[in-house]
Amino acid sequence: MAGAGPETIFKKETVSKVLTLFFKDDKTKASNDAVSLMAEMLKIFVIEAAQRAMKQAENEDSLGVDLEHVEKVLPQLLLDF
Amino acid sequence: MERENSNKKLLTSVSCHFQRLKAAIHYTVGRLCQQAAADHEREFSRQAIAALAEITFRQCDIFATDLEAFARHAKRQTVTADDVKLLARRSAALSNYIQQKSEELAQNNQEQKERRKKNAAKRKTKSSTENEADMAMEP
Repeated sequence: MAGAGPETIFKKETVSKVLTLFFKDDKTKASNDAVSLMAEMLKIFVIEAAQRAMKQAENEDSLGVDLEHVEKVLPQLLLDF
Repeated sequence: MERENSNKKLLTSVSCHFQRLKAAIHYTVGRLCQQAAADHEREFSRQAIAALAEITFRQCDIFATDLEAFARHAKRQTVTADDVKLLARRSAALSNYIQQKSEELAQNNQEQKERRKKNAAKRKTKSSTENEADMAMEP
């Protein structure tokens, strides 16, 4: 199961490729440190989203976290990042 | 005709690339969600994880656009750690966390550089002593 290994984190390669994919200018590059920090930031984003969705599910007294819980926390999440 | 074909090939390779990146993000998001859920004895539905993955992917678009704008504003072609710090400015806690991580990274880099320098120096002295030994061997 998950949690067996060390902490899960986005691969630097993936983050770098995603960023360069979304850069409008082909010449823009990302430094090594920037990619590491972005991986960290994306991890925080996902964990925060998951925590908020779980909180929402808890408030509705539901054991499973479903799409509707994610939908309810989405607007505030996007405003906070 | 040939050009059309190559264009199509290019298009499919780009969209393939796109799909693979999305899949990679989906995988990591799934792992992170499972870990979070395991701590609270809850379970994420597959749709919820898929939605979170899609949200993360689109958020990457926003992040990347901002980072590029910041870098360009600083008249740079390369996005640096400073740009990421600027991206995280809106929330104090996140900003502090990123600042701390950035300092850790800088320290690690510094240590690595010093280690490399030391190693290089060691190698140099080693090779020079070897040379001296060679010299001594020669009559």
